[in-house]
Amino acid sequence: MPDKFIIPIGPQHPALKEPGHFEFTVDGEVVTGASVRLGYVHRGIEKATESRNWNQNLYLLERICGICSHTHAMAYCLGVEKLAGVVAPPRAQAIRTLVGELERIHSHLLWLGVAAHEAGFDTLFMYSWRDRETVMDVLEGLTGNRVNYSANVLGGVKVDINGQQSDSIRKGLDFLEERTRHYLEVVTTDTVFLQRTRGIGVTTNEQAERLGLVGPTARASSVVRDIRIDAPYAAYAEYPVSVVTEAAGDLEARFIVRIKELFESYRVIREILDKLPEGELQARVPRRIKAGETISRVEAPRGELFYFIKSNGTDTPDRIKVRTPTMCNMASVLALAVGHQLADMPMILVGVDPCFSCNDRSVVINGGGDCWTWEQLRQYGIDYYRRKP
Amino acid sequence: MKIGAMLGDVFGSLFRRPATRQYPFERRKAPERLRGKLHWDAEKCTGCLLCVKDCPANAIEVFMVDKATKRFAVRYHLDRCTYCAQCVVSCRPGALQMSSDEWELAATCKEPFTVYYGDDADVEYLMA
Amino acid sequence: MNAIAALLIFPGGLFVLFGGMAYEWADRKLVARLQNRLGPRWFQPLADTVKLLAKEEVIPSGVNSFLFLGLPVAALAGALTAALYVPLAGLAPSYSFPGDLIVTLYALSLLTLCTGLAGANTSDRFSLVGATRTLTQLFSYEAPFLLALLGPAMATGSWQINQINQYAAQHWLLVAQPVGFVVALIGLMGKLELPPFDAPEAETEIVAGALTEYSGRGLALFRLGKNAELMIGLTLVASFYFGGIANPLEFFGKTLGLLLGLSALQTLMARLRIDQTVGLWWRYGALLVLAQWLLLILAQGVMA
Repeated sequence: MPDKFIIPIGPQHPALKEPGHFEFTVDGEVVTGASVRLGYVHRGIEKATESRNWNQNLYLLERICGICSHTHAMAYCLGVEKLAGVVAPPRAQAIRTLVGELERIHSHLLWLGVAAHEAGFDTLFMYSWRDRETVMDVLEGLTGNRVNYSANVLGGVKVDINGQQSDSIRKGLDFLEERTRHYLEVVTTDTVFLQRTRGIGVTTNEQAERLGLVGPTARASSVVRDIRIDAPYAAYAEYPVSVVTEAAGDLEARFIVRIKELFESYRVIREILDKLPEGELQARVPRRIKAGETISRVEAPRGELFYFIKSNGTDTPDRIKVRTPTMCNMASVLALAVGHQLADMPMILVGVDPCFSCNDRSVVINGGGDCWTWEQLRQYGIDYYRRKP
Repeated sequence: MKIGAMLGDVFGSLFRRPATRQYPFERRKAPERLRGKLHWDAEKCTGCLLCVKDCPANAIEVFMVDKATKRFAVRYHLDRCTYCAQCVVSCRPGALQMSSDEWELAATCKEPFTVYYGDDADVEYLMA
Repeated sequence: MNAIAALLIFPGGLFVLFGGMAYEWADRKLVARLQNRLGPRWFQPLADTVKLLAKEEVIPSGVNSFLFLGLPVAALAGALTAALYVPLAGLAPSYSFPGDLIVTLYALSLLTLCTGLAGANTSDRFSLVGATRTLTQLFSYEAPFLLALLGPAMATGSWQINQINQYAAQHWLLVAQPVGFVVALIGLMGKLELPPFDAPEAETEIVAGALTEYSGRGLALFRLGKNAELMIGLTLVASFYFGGIANPLEFFGKTLGLLLGLSALQTLMARLRIDQTVGLWWRYGALLVLAQWLLLILAQGVMA
């Protein structure tokens, strides 16, 4: 009689920072099957947006996630501004980009600590989180809050950067850059840590494309996919970033990609501070947004964040649909789990940088309606982008 | 490949102060842009109610005492507020400000969480 | 009367319990300071123990309650018994007889065995995996650790801790058997389940390992047993390899110095997987200590 020994990880588990239910079927220490159940943090936010006006929704959507909150707000603002036909002034776009990159730094440093903690390397956890305090203090001085910065308003930003802010940002970045160099060295040379990350969770390029991975998880398998380059938004056309990829596809590659992205962020922030355009901070956005539908995509620290916004001409939206990057990456955890040891499970999970709060959206599938083939969908997409100005 | 790549940090920490800031014995000065408790200036308010419409948490309520002479009273719920400062942005006359040093707002009962702004007599009259 | 005082209060019994808590505090404080943070205040382990003793002990369904309640007691008893034969506080051991080194080591293993059995007793999956890992780790570090501690015994020509202690006071075995010292140190980390060998109680994988279901008094007794094991293990390795322990000053100095080394090693390394731990022990640990023994035998043969 086969032994079906199921280890539940979650919903309450020290490995998870947020609830999610994973069931690993193990044989000794080797995992033979995996399944996941999500939805523990479903709050009905998409439904709640339909009864609040456009300004109120900004703050509601910002709180879908605590650590990619600015990207959610930015995606929403860009989408609504597109619907209303308003373009935020260049200084506002630059400040949005700057806060977005600061948030990326914040998110990657947090992830580094959490991933080290999952491996049992508490020292790296403590030190990287100590250094994360620097970027949080910078953000607090700039925007007024350490998490959920609320720097965006519809049509621009709320906060300005003066000389003193600029100096404190630069000072913080100098400190962080030196520390990041040290962490890159630690992650690639520490023998015991490499035993936990090298060669574990290997995802080939072909697997990454098939599973539809996004973000640094995909870039660690040589998939060149970064929305900031493929479809520049906000000020990324003026301050371009270069894509960071690694070929190995294992956990070590994911560490290296995220740390190297930190260097890119430092560079872009310094460039923005040097060449900040003058101008006002907000453009006027009407209270009633014209009817229409639009999509907006931004590169959150975890991957591609996708918003679909539909307006019916009133001051509350008709439908807002959010597709977060963790949704795409979660399937890869199950696909990779089989064959690895139980001790590798938390590491593989944290390697995709899961954000369960972002994750829990619901989809309602109504019966009936017409059915499109793959060719029809593809043709529709091609026509849509041809029509785009 | 080496064992103990963090040796430099670890060894140095023996001679450094711990990075822990022992709150409440040491407090850092809050930055001037910190979004703390909301303050309402009666002189500037025009009663347009945009702040009420735009608050994502229904934390601010404006009551008309006398519209002609622009006398209003404001009830502000500290516990509902998310400190997003959208009301500050929406208010064109600039009657709302967020304090940068009142941020220790925890309390052990519910009364301090409802703040009334406006003339005392007006507030009494409204709450009756 | 004197014997009962020695057994219950000093240097056995209460001294071991409170001393163990003090060493746990020292370990946690050192690790915290090495990680650039503050660390607990001096009474934290005592407060933890008092709190745990005051809490309700929840007996999960499906366990053998006699074993559930009795195993923590047996574990603590093993640790306290082992304390009688080592030179605690720098004084001569209360009871000493030829061969008591083996008895001490087996009493300490009894603690680990009880932890493993406690985990296997419950039907909780985390405890079962934790128990398997505890026992697997026991089987892998036990042999090299034992041999590393028997190296000084061989040099002394006796298996009595008291005599080895006195012999080591004249000969610094750290210099004479460095490989043995390294294996003994790493073995101590394995026995105490300190990182990198804390897979049996890997918090981020299996919650608390074998002791997941324990709460209240049972957990307090297990933790007291582990603290006593810390103190006794440190005493053994320090007295064998650091030149013997002859007085209280040497006791505190040498054991705390060794603890500093252990804490530094703890903070520097990530957690190894259980199969990597076993591989490490059976490949490098056993080979190193056997090489040390070979040298020892040759040296003794040459000198004789």
